[in-house]
Amino acid sequence: MDGKIYILVVEDELEVMEALVKDLEKFEAFFPVETANNANEAQQVIEHIIDHRNKVGLVLCDHVLPGKNGVDLLIDMQSRPETSDSKKVLVTGQAGHEDTILAINKADLDHYIAKPWSQQELEEVVVRELTDFVIAHEKNLLPYMQILNADRLSDVIRKNKMTDH
Amino acid sequence: MKALPKQTISIFIGVIGFVIPFFLNIPGLSEAGHVALSIFFIAAIFWMLEPVPIYATSILVILLQVFFLSKQGVLFPEATANYSPNPYTDFIGTLSNPIIILFLGGFVLADAAVKYDLDKNLTRLLLKPFGDKPKFIILGLMVVTGLLSAFMSNTATTAMMMTVILPIIAKTDIDDPLRIGLALSIPFAANIGGIATPIGTPPNAVVIGALSTQGIDIAFTEWMVLAGPLVIITLVASWFILLWMFKPKSDFIPMDMKGTFQKNSSAILVYVVFGVTVLLWVTETFHGVGSSIIALIPVAVLSLTGILDKDGIRQLPWEVLWLVAGGISLGISMESTGLAEWIITSIEWSAFSTIFMIIAFSLVAIVMSNFLSNTVSATLLIPLAVSLATSGVAGEGFSLILISLVIGVSASLAMMLPISTPPNAIAMSTGTLKTKHMTRAGFAIGVFGLLMVTLYALFYWPLILN
Repeated sequence: MDGKIYILVVEDELEVMEALVKDLEKFEAFFPVETANNANEAQQVIEHIIDHRNKVGLVLCDHVLPGKNGVDLLIDMQSRPETSDSKKVLVTGQAGHEDTILAINKADLDHYIAKPWSQQELEEVVVRELTDFVIAHEKNLLPYMQILNADRLSDVIRKNKMTDH
Repeated sequence: MKALPKQTISIFIGVIGFVIPFFLNIPGLSEAGHVALSIFFIAAIFWMLEPVPIYATSILVILLQVFFLSKQGVLFPEATANYSPNPYTDFIGTLSNPIIILFLGGFVLADAAVKYDLDKNLTRLLLKPFGDKPKFIILGLMVVTGLLSAFMSNTATTAMMMTVILPIIAKTDIDDPLRIGLALSIPFAANIGGIATPIGTPPNAVVIGALSTQGIDIAFTEWMVLAGPLVIITLVASWFILLWMFKPKSDFIPMDMKGTFQKNSSAILVYVVFGVTVLLWVTETFHGVGSSIIALIPVAVLSLTGILDKDGIRQLPWEVLWLVAGGISLGISMESTGLAEWIITSIEWSAFSTIFMIIAFSLVAIVMSNFLSNTVSATLLIPLAVSLATSGVAGEGFSLILISLVIGVSASLAMMLPISTPPNAIAMSTGTLKTKHMTRAGFAIGVFGLLMVTLYALFYWPLILN
């Protein structure tokens, strides 16, 4: 593996954050989860992750945050080469029409989860997005077989002409 | 002080290994033999510790041989009393050894089959008659996996079959041992199935390549007649072992593989080329056209029709061809410099019976390839076997082909650990089983394989070869 792949959760309400992190528990062993309460803190966390040659695989981001809002954070991430490929998901109940359009057009938003979410929905989204991410970015897919979509990963391995030695 | 990374230490050990023979004077070993020993050391150390990829080591081997052991190299421009240097074309020529071309044909075919989902659709078709009882589903999976891996890479076959069994595993109770049996049946069948044809897996290529440098050509069909029965019996035994160790609780497996054969003209052409090539390969005894010559047909037809395009050619697994070529090349020098013979004659072989030597070589090959690449294990052992047979120290009746087969087959029978083969690693990565399950079942198959190889080498192979 070339560095760790992080899941970043940006959410200002403590209870919601706790609920999200709890629902992400099963991924923690493969994708360390980092949290931030606002956009500024998120930027620092991203900085830290990149400095250690790791990657942000997925960001789950609330829209209404103190200070800069979630969509602006995602747009910033999109404009940075290190995080432009990170999978971007809005987890919110309050992003208006225009902000959502902005997120899709300018931040290449990958998914929109409306609050309240169900754990199953969240897990499906995380699995799908991270599977896309590792297929695009990782050479060795085997470590992810047991947590992500093994079916799709096997098919990529098959088509990648993996050989015997 | 900061500890040195493992990679640096491995390279250091390899280089030391390379340098040492230059400062030694080993009695009975020619000057060129010392150089060959240097190259053997660095190759063996690099292949075992893997500070660089194993194919890179193979390329290094060819480079060192051209520079230090060839007629055009720096050390032996003239023939000496003990060594008439090979022209450098002998070493680089291994890249176009017939077995390499045969593999190229196999790669191109497998590539086209995967591109048009022929492998998946064949699997769907062939699995149908096996019904929905777990016992027979596992047998069916093993038969199909074995069959496909005889013509495609074991690893690609395993990856494809994973897409078949993972949905089944997902629907099976978490405490049903069937899950483990299923997950193990695929890599095991792939490892075993690879033995069945010359193109099944690279160790076969190493064996056939080494024999061809001795002037012995093994026909495609001849290999299949020699190895096929062993493959079948080992597959069936593995089936029993898996059922016995991981007795399924459920008595019904829902099989609903979806898909249809692609019917566009390119796909149909691929089916035809695949069918015709395989047919020509397995009928070599009747028409007498060598399998490497036939291998050119798919390469030509598929590139002429654009099915194998520029990107497709670039993406072929060339590193496997380099790996095998390097192995064959190393064998040439170990022979011609007298190194292999020197290693062999330092042991008093006449004290051992043929059966002992068969078991010894088989056991060493199985143990080595549990930890190392199967190809590397075969590569390191074959030159010794060749010398043992050609130098005559092993006595009458010690057949070169026979002992080469023992090594080639045994190298594919190692499947105790996740690192033993790439198919094992794939099965392990699904998280459905623990290493101890693989080790237990792999050990049983290894022991059975060792026994079978010994019996075949004593009774069946001599019957076919003479």
